[in-house]
Amino acid sequence: MKTPRRLLTAATLVAATALALAACAAPADTDTDQPDGEQSESLVIDKSFDLVTADPARMFETTGGIVLHAVYDSLLTFADGDATEPLPSVASEWSVNDDATEYTFTIRDGITFSDGNPLTSADVVFSLNRVKNVQGNGSFLMNGLTVSAPDETTVVITSETSNTAVPAIVTSPTLGIVNSALVTENGGTDAEDAAETDSAEEFLNSTSAGSGPYVLESFDTTTETVLVANPEYWGEAPVYDRVVLRNATAEAQLMDIQSGTADIALDLGSDQIAGLGGDVVVNTSQSPTMFFFFLNANPEVSEITSSPDFREAVRYGIDFDAMLELAGEGAERAYGIVPSSYLGALGADSAVERDVERAQEAVARLGGDVTVELEYASDFSSNGLSMGPFAERIAAQLAEVGITVNLAPGPIATTLESYRAGTEEMGLWLWNPDYPDSADYLAFGPGGIVGERAGWTAGMAPEIEAVMEEVRGEVDPAAREPLYEEFQELSNEAGVIVPLFQPAASVVSTSAVGDVPYDPVFSLDIAAIGR
Amino acid sequence: MALFIAKRLGAALLLVVGTILVAFVLTAVLPGDAATARLGEQAAANPEIVEAMRRQMGLDRPLYEQFFIYLGGLFRGDLGDSVQTTRPVLTDLLLFGPASAELALSATLIAVVVGGGLGIVAALRANTAVDNVLRAFSLGGVSIPIFWFALIATSIFATRLQWFPSSGRLDAGEIPPPRVTGFYTIDSLLAGDLPLFFQAVDHLILPAIVLSAPMVGLLMRFTRASVLDVLGQEYIRAAEAKGLSPRSVVFGHVLRGALVPVITVVGTAFASLLAGTVLVEQIFAWPGIGSYAYRAASTLDLSAIVGVTIFVALIYIFVNLITDILYGIIDPRIRRA
Repeated sequence: MKTPRRLLTAATLVAATALALAACAAPADTDTDQPDGEQSESLVIDKSFDLVTADPARMFETTGGIVLHAVYDSLLTFADGDATEPLPSVASEWSVNDDATEYTFTIRDGITFSDGNPLTSADVVFSLNRVKNVQGNGSFLMNGLTVSAPDETTVVITSETSNTAVPAIVTSPTLGIVNSALVTENGGTDAEDAAETDSAEEFLNSTSAGSGPYVLESFDTTTETVLVANPEYWGEAPVYDRVVLRNATAEAQLMDIQSGTADIALDLGSDQIAGLGGDVVVNTSQSPTMFFFFLNANPEVSEITSSPDFREAVRYGIDFDAMLELAGEGAERAYGIVPSSYLGALGADSAVERDVERAQEAVARLGGDVTVELEYASDFSSNGLSMGPFAERIAAQLAEVGITVNLAPGPIATTLESYRAGTEEMGLWLWNPDYPDSADYLAFGPGGIVGERAGWTAGMAPEIEAVMEEVRGEVDPAAREPLYEEFQELSNEAGVIVPLFQPAASVVSTSAVGDVPYDPVFSLDIAAIGR
Repeated sequence: MALFIAKRLGAALLLVVGTILVAFVLTAVLPGDAATARLGEQAAANPEIVEAMRRQMGLDRPLYEQFFIYLGGLFRGDLGDSVQTTRPVLTDLLLFGPASAELALSATLIAVVVGGGLGIVAALRANTAVDNVLRAFSLGGVSIPIFWFALIATSIFATRLQWFPSSGRLDAGEIPPPRVTGFYTIDSLLAGDLPLFFQAVDHLILPAIVLSAPMVGLLMRFTRASVLDVLGQEYIRAAEAKGLSPRSVVFGHVLRGALVPVITVVGTAFASLLAGTVLVEQIFAWPGIGSYAYRAASTLDLSAIVGVTIFVALIYIFVNLITDILYGIIDPRIRRA
């Protein structure tokens, strides 16, 4: 048949116009980008969100911590990435009694909330009690603590037992000070039944009630959260007036930072960073996150992993340096469970070196040819690292000493359940500090939260437990240091928990923003950017 | 015709009920404890907090009771609350649904215009060089992995050339237009904000083109085959013999005949496009149902998972229903069958 030529032309035109239209919209982009000079004052930060709430009492996630550290002041704080010494914030000074059971804080004069109301000791008591009573993820921070206000400018925190970690604990954004009048007005309560009766979360998700350098402009847990500078802030005003925190996958972050749509990217792995061009600044330091695995000490869970011979075989069968290599540039080997920047962290002189023969002998004592199962989360990554490659390397190294490791990956929702139930024979996990103090790592001792999961219950290692008890009551930091070291050395010998490494944490920023350091406590101190 | 539509509607309704049941049961028997999945390390070690969370989420009741409570809520338009956003799931669906719909409809539009147009060209130029080039092009469109195409497209057009933004629906921190339809392109026009409209279009183009790629190829092949098939029919020859202009032959006879199979393809392709949005939305940080579903699954956000499943199933069913009815309108033989 004859081709209807005109129709052919028409159809071609339609298709071509569609393609052309798509391509032509591009120049419009450059026009719409600069209609109002506002863009330059905004700082855009890309982060893979784990954002749940903007209510400090209920918040206990990394992204939430970044946002709320900028919005709510705490009694004390840390600055410049230094997690060793708490600094004054809402409290201008503080003191502690001899047995570390009573802390007295003096509230700084002249602090007002973003609505202009003055901040008093009553707000501190309300905020801390509310955290305790809403029974959220961070309520454990107040375990054993009571708080009172003898007068308008004094707050006293009393601990049931000696607790040297209190100054570090009160830096947590979870314990941020809220405007008690405003929060009460909007459904908040610090009463003992707050878990059932407090209904201020919705309000706090839309309006911030703090005294920090920023206030919430908009809050969304899935797309973006916007902060604007708080005009009432009592301290040094932040450099950026408006900060947009945007939810983006690592892949999207890479594109955004290359195209300049984002100023800062927080989740790029070392391989992604290696491919970046010259127009960015990369700041790499060790993250306090600790990758570790454990051998279950409960004979009911495993006859094999609970045996001292097996522990010895693993301790000398693992090549820690090869693990570190896998963790990439900037990562640091963990000699003990306490991270390198904290009091009492172990040094290279405590390193165990691989000894294949010794490990093989230990396996022989077990009767040879043992098989164990290693469980880990397959759909989870931290600092750009997934668990899978490490599990595979553990299996390969232990195979050389005669231990067959069957890998049991699973979605984190399921593996987390068996980990918490203490039914894993061997598990590969990581730990982010709850607060920047070595005391947090007593959780890995016998009877601690992680210890229990590894089948290591109270009473199983009296020698270690005695050291743990002693360090809890020791007020003098100089005396605490050797005790934490001893705790870790003894734990390493027992071999139930095997610390692997601390990954590198990198913050990538555009040259316009300049150097932005990673903060080991808050991940990112937004108000300090550009200073 | 009325009976035909009623029958189709009845079947669709049955499907909806079945979907809800299946979605609910499958989600409930998922491994993993949704209550502790929400809790941090220290809180999960506290049985009191875990118990309170289970109570709050209604997980302390037997499964059948949970189902009836859910059904009851459903009748009132209550799909439960999402764990990740703390908002009612229905609010989330209404919030994220239009974002996905705007993306999917734009992709469909591109596919129909480009794929359909090129398909007609290929058919009218059958077995010439033009046809061969177009067929190779369509094969590429169908077989290209969408995530790979997305990464290539963004690295060239967003990162290198910087013609298009690489993520989001608007520039970072930009305030969305007052919400009427949830489509930023339409809402910004309604608000009379032209710069915002261009910004929304700008953000839409790249993900929509990526998403449309497989559909363009598919439609091109179908349109070509369908037009060729009709061109060979007796009645076309008769029309030509009567001396009708080529233009009225094609528009009056060929396209009408070729449309039926193409509509089916558009319908099913649109539905499968929704699956493609999960990937595309992840890559382009597009805040739609796809990203929402992905996050819901990884955080064991049960209400959200069931909500999204029902929502997507409803769209599938609706699209199929519309396709069926359109069929009946275009080709009367079908509704009598």
